[in-house]
Amino acid sequence: MADKRKMFVYGGIIGLIGAILVKFGNPGNMGICIACFWRDITGALGLHRAAVVQYIRPEIIGIIFGSFIVSYLTGDFKVRGGSSPLIRFVLGFFLMIGALVFLGCPLRMLLRIGNGDLNAIVGLLGYVFGIFVGVQFLKKGYTLGRSIEQSKIVGFIFPIFAVVLLIFLIVKPAFILFSEEGPGSMAAPVILSLVLGAVVGIVLQRSRICTAGGFRDAILIKDYHFLWGLIGILVFNLIGNLVLNFGSFKISFEGQPIAHTNHIWNFLGMTLVGLCSVLLGGCPIRQTILASQGDGDAGVTVLGLIAGAAFSHNFGLASSGTGSTTNGQIAVIIGIIAVLIIAYSVVAGAKNRSKAKEVVNNG
Amino acid sequence: MEDFYCVVTFHITQHALIFEKVMKNKDVEVKLMPVPRQVSSSCGTAAKIPCDLEEDIKNWCNEENIQIEGFHKISNKGGSGWFNKLLNNNRGK
Repeated sequence: MADKRKMFVYGGIIGLIGAILVKFGNPGNMGICIACFWRDITGALGLHRAAVVQYIRPEIIGIIFGSFIVSYLTGDFKVRGGSSPLIRFVLGFFLMIGALVFLGCPLRMLLRIGNGDLNAIVGLLGYVFGIFVGVQFLKKGYTLGRSIEQSKIVGFIFPIFAVVLLIFLIVKPAFILFSEEGPGSMAAPVILSLVLGAVVGIVLQRSRICTAGGFRDAILIKDYHFLWGLIGILVFNLIGNLVLNFGSFKISFEGQPIAHTNHIWNFLGMTLVGLCSVLLGGCPIRQTILASQGDGDAGVTVLGLIAGAAFSHNFGLASSGTGSTTNGQIAVIIGIIAVLIIAYSVVAGAKNRSKAKEVVNNG
Repeated sequence: MEDFYCVVTFHITQHALIFEKVMKNKDVEVKLMPVPRQVSSSCGTAAKIPCDLEEDIKNWCNEENIQIEGFHKISNKGGSGWFNKLLNNNRGK
């Protein structure tokens, strides 16, 4: 019970920070959104040209620093990699496409619910459904294989990337793009975002809370340890919004900030996110945390997220407040089919290998 | 509450599920749970089992071709934040 309470409080810190960052200037219901924030960074680097979503989000830099430093101090910093990196890249790519059709990562989905956005409940149902489908592959033997120890420099690539982003944010060179209007122009003060981002990084590194892990364990092994963290996020974000952002609190489908009401595509977009997350072993925020504590495979996944964000805007896949696009709908269907084929192939390959092993063992 | 408990960790989630089934068939008390924080910063699936059956369990896993990553004895003392790895062998790394 003490463990559950701890998870609840850890999650609560994340939920409160979500409300605080909105209060101080982040876009509506977007106190923290890992998909949106990586997408904004992708735009700031000029990898897509959607002028309204370009900003070097300091929260991401803070999260990387927080996770890196605390893992380094506690001995959790372990440099590993080599577990199906290309598959992880592709899963990260499609995950981002699903998230940008829904308009948010699973964390923002919880924060949207915490401010009364009912569309996010449709997204949640899709997300849990995607995880349920992914769990069936886990039961059949799905695995991306063992990671192995890598050269130490691999583990420093992400923290160095964060330093470079911080320099770009402060120096603002001409080749870095910053939105002048739209969500990309709405931001809490840099220092506040950095510090609260670091708190998020530390809390999530220590607690290992993962939106995918919470639902996966509940479905797969009927264990609710991590789910309590998610409940904490939701409850404290709701309380935080009622206290800090009461003016914007509204229980409805219509008129929610950076959201649309296409239920089918909210559901299927998050189904794709849930499926990819469970097959990757973690949602976008968990991947960012792991990438910062030496996990090269998670680093490749984040690069997949960045590539997915670039293509989403370059190909017109990302939704907007007016709804999802036809291109985005087609991309979600292609994504779900592609990811199912990958998962099936991995399971079939593992079965063949274990059969071959038996034949060898039996002479 | 006892001062310690034991878990087995796995490379593949499916092996944890097969392990649970095999142990239940042998009337061994088993419970699947997230890998304890003291063992790893990852969030995979582990199986809680009686500590005194370590050798039997390793033999059964060999017979059933279940690959285990490690057998860990976890201290309940000092909370989960500060850990004691009292025993940690057969990590397979």
